[in-house]
Amino acid sequence: MYRHFRMLIFIAALFLTFSQAAFAAGGDGPPKDMLKGVFTQVDAVSRTAVFAKDGTGETVVLTLPQGMAAEDISVNKKVLVSLDKNAGEGVIKDVSLMFLDMKLKTAVTLLIVGLIGGLLSGFIGSGGAFVLTPAMMSLGVPGAVAVASNMCHKFPKAMVGAYKRYKYGQADIKLGVVMSATAIIGVQIGIRIQKFILNAFGNAGSNLYVSFVFMVVLVLVGGYVLYDAYKLSKGKNEEKASNLALRLQQIKLAPMMHFKVANVTISAWVTIPVGLLTGMLAATIAVGGFIGVPGMIYVVGASAVVASATELIVAFFMGAWGSIQWGLSGLIDIRLTLLILFGSLIGVQLGALGTTYVKDYMIKLVMASTMLIVAVSRGALIPSYLANLDLIQKISPEMEHLLSQVSFWALVTALASAGIIITVAMVSGMRSAGQEASTPVTAQVTAHD
Amino acid sequence: MIIDQLENYLTAATYAQSGEHETAMSIMNRKNHANRDTKGGIGMKQESVKHKTNRYIVPAVGFGIFSLSLYAALLINEGRVMDLFTRGGWFTILPVGCAFLFSFVHGAFASNLLSALGIEAKK
Repeated sequence: MYRHFRMLIFIAALFLTFSQAAFAAGGDGPPKDMLKGVFTQVDAVSRTAVFAKDGTGETVVLTLPQGMAAEDISVNKKVLVSLDKNAGEGVIKDVSLMFLDMKLKTAVTLLIVGLIGGLLSGFIGSGGAFVLTPAMMSLGVPGAVAVASNMCHKFPKAMVGAYKRYKYGQADIKLGVVMSATAIIGVQIGIRIQKFILNAFGNAGSNLYVSFVFMVVLVLVGGYVLYDAYKLSKGKNEEKASNLALRLQQIKLAPMMHFKVANVTISAWVTIPVGLLTGMLAATIAVGGFIGVPGMIYVVGASAVVASATELIVAFFMGAWGSIQWGLSGLIDIRLTLLILFGSLIGVQLGALGTTYVKDYMIKLVMASTMLIVAVSRGALIPSYLANLDLIQKISPEMEHLLSQVSFWALVTALASAGIIITVAMVSGMRSAGQEASTPVTAQVTAHD
Repeated sequence: MIIDQLENYLTAATYAQSGEHETAMSIMNRKNHANRDTKGGIGMKQESVKHKTNRYIVPAVGFGIFSLSLYAALLINEGRVMDLFTRGGWFTILPVGCAFLFSFVHGAFASNLLSALGIEAKK
């Protein structure tokens, strides 16, 4: 009882201490140079438009930039307007319809993407944002709405997945709660770093930073996880905790915590950097699981099954937190959220039960292959970001288009290959389990003579 | 006789390992060993599996209807829903609460559907 009380005090103290610093700069949510509201009037002669801000109803007069015609402005439809700070006060940079018209093709695409994304989530613990958010944006959803709607879908999906894997005895709730406390703080730190880079270097700099972090993390971590999975599949290594985790477990720095399901006793201070980095990465590249899961495996010493299951608990807390923040700004398109949930709630349960039929290394293999293919997808966009910052020669529009197609199709490949590997592994595992159950006892006895 | 008993014990142990405790107990308690061949044993297991999957069909259909009704209600009232759910501030409770509600109902449907199809976790 006293140990539980000490742990609760530790988590609360940690959260309060770091959150004071993290929240010092004020509230979060969508960028401040974005306006949400409705255009009520457009004047083609003066090239101005009257904009009524959402919530307050306050009207402002905005100026149309060069290259934008009055006909491009939709009147009386909710839009997201980004302002060009460099061009002056109240100059429009971009206008996006906030909430797209729902068509059958869009709805079906979201169902399929949700199903495969959910399958991936249930299997490797990742929230799936790295495919779901770009998928929504490719359908015409503005970035902020895509991120907000995905967040609102992520936490209930993670809740269902975590519950299922808890029932299978795989999710360590205590480890998940401890990691979540620092992950949420990590998100705030990551957002502040993002905003600093956006203010200092603009959109191109921000995109380059995100892609660079993507590449480094995915290639290094994904490469190592793949190597580990390969060794395990060849039977060269036993499935055991990494040397780093074993050494860190020797550090007796109070408070020591025992995580029953993970079967690990480790200082709580070791979990802090893992949680913080998970949150920071979630804020930067929208995928905390790509650090969180390997962190729990190679730093804390949990198995891949427990790490991927526990990550769903972290995803639940981070998703719930992020959803509230985005919801406060009215950016959640509940139609997108629920259409993705339709498929993902089935997929996440399939993925979760699939983990009971496969060996530990299969989870690592799926995670690593997904990470490396997504690295290619993000890497293909780096040349255009470098060119926009004048760090390399300008690239031709044809080359830019080709690279963006490479990026898109690499993302599709990542999703499809993960779906295929998981499905094949599950079906194979289920068949073997079925054969074992139906093998006559006498035959088994004979085989062991 | 001893070999017959050993075979019964091994059969019972197999059922117990796969979670069929009642079947295992009934084999252990059986006085008449006439039906001790494994083919009969497998038939009993298949009946047990069929009984288990049948009990998920009604909840799957029930939750399925409920889930579809919720989705239909959302799409029919799309305009009103979008207007309310995107107002921000305290209205945040609406999209967040809605996501929770759908996840419980649709999640229960998905769980029962998979179980009714016999797709379950390995024991």
